[in-house]
Amino acid sequence: MEFSPAEKFWMNFKLYQLWRFVVLNYKILAVVAKSKRS
Amino acid sequence: MAKVLIVGAGFAGHTAALYLGSRIGRKHEVTVISNRDVFAYVPSWVWVGVGHMKPEQTVFKLKPVYDRLNVKFVHAAAKEIHPDEGDQYVLGEEVGTGKQVRLDYDYLLIAPGPLLNFAGTPGLGPENGFTQSICSLPHSVKTRDSYLALCERMKKGEKVKIVIGTGHPGATCQGAAFEYIVNVHKDLVKKGLRDKADILWLSNEPALGDFGVNGVQVKRNGIVQKSAEFIQSVFNDHGIRYQVQTGVTKVEPGKIHWQNYEGEEGVTDFDFAMLIPQFKGQPFKYIGKDGADISSKLVNPAGFVLVDGKYGLPYPELIQTPDAWPARYQNPTYKNVFSAGIAFAPPGPISKPFTNKNNLAIAAAPPRTGMVSGMIGRVAALNIVDLINKREMTHSERMSEMVAACVASMGDSLLDGNAVVIVMYPVVPNRNKFANEFGRDLFTSHLEMGVSGAWMKFMLHHTFIWKFKALPGWKLIPE
Repeated sequence: MEFSPAEKFWMNFKLYQLWRFVVLNYKILAVVAKSKRS
Repeated sequence: MAKVLIVGAGFAGHTAALYLGSRIGRKHEVTVISNRDVFAYVPSWVWVGVGHMKPEQTVFKLKPVYDRLNVKFVHAAAKEIHPDEGDQYVLGEEVGTGKQVRLDYDYLLIAPGPLLNFAGTPGLGPENGFTQSICSLPHSVKTRDSYLALCERMKKGEKVKIVIGTGHPGATCQGAAFEYIVNVHKDLVKKGLRDKADILWLSNEPALGDFGVNGVQVKRNGIVQKSAEFIQSVFNDHGIRYQVQTGVTKVEPGKIHWQNYEGEEGVTDFDFAMLIPQFKGQPFKYIGKDGADISSKLVNPAGFVLVDGKYGLPYPELIQTPDAWPARYQNPTYKNVFSAGIAFAPPGPISKPFTNKNNLAIAAAPPRTGMVSGMIGRVAALNIVDLINKREMTHSERMSEMVAACVASMGDSLLDGNAVVIVMYPVVPNRNKFANEFGRDLFTSHLEMGVSGAWMKFMLHHTFIWKFKALPGWKLIPE
């Protein structure tokens, strides 16, 4: 298994990564809320 | 007034102290006993180990934080626990003076973190052995010095062999070792020395990317992607060789002895090795009112504290029984004793264990660090608050119900660093709730690599130190 050139491009493309940073933060907060946290 | 005593001030113990102090610190007596007077942000030690972060940036003094939260701090090493009714105290030895301290309690939370069992593998470890570790701050500093000395040799043209992974057939915390190996790779690339190093991942995991949690599986565009393939891609991309299903049995200068699933014995040469040891419970003495050893009522043979899990289930039954995992982290014999973090005894492994033909068990132990540790510390603390205020517990969260997020650093630079963002839900597969072969929510679970991960790792370092210092808004930051 190897990462494709396209995958490597997106991993390092800063504007896309800024978008992913926002999405990932939101996703983590959303799943923490989904977790039981009784 | 109730007396609550917390043994340990790591992720679990300190999180519990924050909640207990803020909830009941004014009305009741909350005390923390710890042999360290600082809180250590362990996830950043991978950066200390390559010389990219100063050790002091990962620690802060506990007492000023506890003073604000009405938590008493005793800088002493706990030695004996006397849990019988009428006793209920912990004996410790004050750090520096060696003076004996006695701390009485009504409720006890045991969260001292692991005993790093280097002795479990002859020749392992930085003190009496030949390998490095990033499992304590002094070890990380020693690892950094050893690594930087190795770099100097490489600068002179020497080719070296680097081995990173697990140093015992039953070790856990593969995630930390993974972070370290990719950080070493990145650092060597930046120093222009990568071609001088042969780097090997040596691990007791049943497969690459297992991390002691049976791997991570996510569904993307209708296809299930597994962490095994993902981590294989990372290692292939970085030119890191890998060897899994391997238990290290002995280390000699420059030589690692191991056995694998097939029962083959082998030796791997190294110039620098960072291998995670087996974790055991802290060797406290558990003493009854009559002076007898009552360890069997409180801990399992490895020294981990027995809580409300179902122990002794064979692995095939355990993976079908998510309720075997503890919910309230309360000792079944002593109801006022709780345990959190690495210290509590899991009911068994998450990853499939294996015993080879030489009867060597090669089994990745379940990780209970970081986010999981903090969450369990919170559950135990809130249950103690419940018992004090209303005599019944209302909080429960099994690892088979718990989400965990992990950002595995692969270089700390904010410009060209990298990290894998891993979300798994639940941590322990729950086949009753998620009817797929993995027992996980494949849509919630997530696996992604990119520069944004490095930004997240940087942000987490600062956000969590803010939280653990109990600065304004700390409760809004989830564990």
